[in-house]
Amino acid sequence: MDNLISIFLNSVFVGNILLAYFLGMCSFVAISKNLRTSIGLGFAVVFVLTITAPANWLIYYYLLAPGALSWAGLPDVDLSFLKFITFIAVIAAMVQVVEMVIDRLSPALYNALGVFLPLITVNCAILGTSLFMVERSYRFTESLVFGFGSGVGWLLAIVSMAAIRMKMRYADVPGGLEGFGITMIVTGLLAMGFMLFSGIQM
Amino acid sequence: MKFTKSKHFKAFSEPLIDNNPISMQMLGICSALAVTVQLKTAIVMGLSLTVVLAFSNLTISALRRVIPRNIRMIVELSVIASLVILADEILRAFLYDISKQLSVFVGLIITNCIVMGRAETYALGHPPGLSFMDGLGNGAGYGSVLVFVAFVRELLGSGKFLGYSVVPDAFYQAGYQNMGFMLLAPAAFIIIGLMVWLQKTLSGDRDHG
Amino acid sequence: MSENLKSIVFALSTAVVCSLLLTVAAQGLNPLQRENAAVDQQKNILKSVGLIAADRAYTAEDIKHLYAENIRCIRVDENGNVVTSDAADPPLLPVYLYRKDGAVAAYIIPIDSRGLWGRIHGYLALEADGATIAGFTVYKHSETPGLGGEIEKRWFQDNFKGKKIVDRQGHFAAISIVKQAKLDTLPAAERINAVDGISGATLTGRFLSAGLKDTLSEYEPVSIKFRTNRLLHLPADAERCETTP
Repeated sequence: MDNLISIFLNSVFVGNILLAYFLGMCSFVAISKNLRTSIGLGFAVVFVLTITAPANWLIYYYLLAPGALSWAGLPDVDLSFLKFITFIAVIAAMVQVVEMVIDRLSPALYNALGVFLPLITVNCAILGTSLFMVERSYRFTESLVFGFGSGVGWLLAIVSMAAIRMKMRYADVPGGLEGFGITMIVTGLLAMGFMLFSGIQM
Repeated sequence: MKFTKSKHFKAFSEPLIDNNPISMQMLGICSALAVTVQLKTAIVMGLSLTVVLAFSNLTISALRRVIPRNIRMIVELSVIASLVILADEILRAFLYDISKQLSVFVGLIITNCIVMGRAETYALGHPPGLSFMDGLGNGAGYGSVLVFVAFVRELLGSGKFLGYSVVPDAFYQAGYQNMGFMLLAPAAFIIIGLMVWLQKTLSGDRDHG
Repeated sequence: MSENLKSIVFALSTAVVCSLLLTVAAQGLNPLQRENAAVDQQKNILKSVGLIAADRAYTAEDIKHLYAENIRCIRVDENGNVVTSDAADPPLLPVYLYRKDGAVAAYIIPIDSRGLWGRIHGYLALEADGATIAGFTVYKHSETPGLGGEIEKRWFQDNFKGKKIVDRQGHFAAISIVKQAKLDTLPAAERINAVDGISGATLTGRFLSAGLKDTLSEYEPVSIKFRTNRLLHLPADAERCETTP
């Protein structure tokens, strides 16, 4: 239990999937212009991550990993080279489901998110979380917590960014820095801030 | 017609600076930054992406008249994913040490917005030759940004260039210390921000806000 | 109808072509990859006893040669008894022996500890007295670069050299990673069982200490044999292990 809490806290703060590992930047830069849509997208990402991480865990450890197929009588088969393609297929399917759910529950949010909803499929953070989970040899519950934590971390980052950009509308940013440039620098400062959490002891 | 004026060359040269995928199109930042701690890894990453992008553009462009519209994205993803898996397998066979350092980031080329983006916006509408050059150009543009950031980070952060110490000992004796901050994540963001500022200022104000 | 049929046929053919291509590539490149992984493991074992200098480049042939010359491998059961390869009764513990001038100069045990972000893999080399640490290397981890990730750096690993896993009375004490401040306040007798930690990486240090303690306890029977001079001579059947990547 203690381990799960530390995985969660670390994936939200010190090992924030966006601020420490740079994943999920594309939609981050584009969507953080608007606070409402950021919150909506953030929650969608949390949902997709919490489901795809454990789903991919099951698929990897029962189908793809070396020796995974021993329950089917094929202990020597190693399909781990298919993990990229399988994970992305699972993610695409999951995003499709989330799209339908959001469309049913909140058409306004669906319209606001527009093209960025299907773009969650190619959000590096989603695939990255699954790949990290495999690389770090997490157990099933750990992968669930890790997926959830990564999502929350991403949500935190994008919402903070949106709030900051709202305030920056009143700032006098030099021409060349406007838009992408200043967003990057602020993200860097935000990332520095999140690193301060590394001193927390449980 | 001079080569440099040909359409093919333009397809290659435009994304290098004027329409650079990272600084101008704002794509592909994701997997870019994490590998820029060292110049070596940045170069390999840039090359991998260029190869994947060029061949993905080529393949998708060659198939552009036969891909059924309704499964377009899935086919694109399959082509890209397969090429990435190939690249990863080749790296693990021939450049094992570097592949360990690149870890999951080679796999993340699949979700790299540049690859998907160029497939959708360019390869589907242009012949294979031009698409290939466009792939090379965008890959080179992406690679050059990576190399620039990595160069700064490695030099200032560990005093090295491609793994070789270049800061003279005399500097260290005099009290110079490596800027450890450069090796941490936030530095990459800030360097890119400053680089984009420089580029936009030098090329005149562009409306890309 | 034929629209959908076309889509299905196309999708299937794409799947088949991709699968074939990838499987051929993966199968074909597999031997090379496995050899790379094996050489990598040998390199790490050699590094832990200082047979490889960290800043020189070695070819795969160099490494394989060095390994074959200097390292032998045995398996022991939980009581520290050497088990020959014929008797197959898992779980057996692998021990790598550094043989020098016909005798065992050091024994190397694989470390697979829990870390903050994932497993920490490394090798701990102990001298033939069964008590002093000869070297420590970490070759795979998922810790945060700049913080826990410092465990892969030379300065951290060098701190382990010369430390002991037993206390003054000869009882098992393992090796702990402690904060700099705490290290200074420890009595000299206890300091030999502790190494300086990494600032900002308390948890990594804690997990690694626990992992080291667990593994060292597992291998205690072997260490005791070394302490009582019962394993100095190379067992006649010590051979090269099948290095599993």
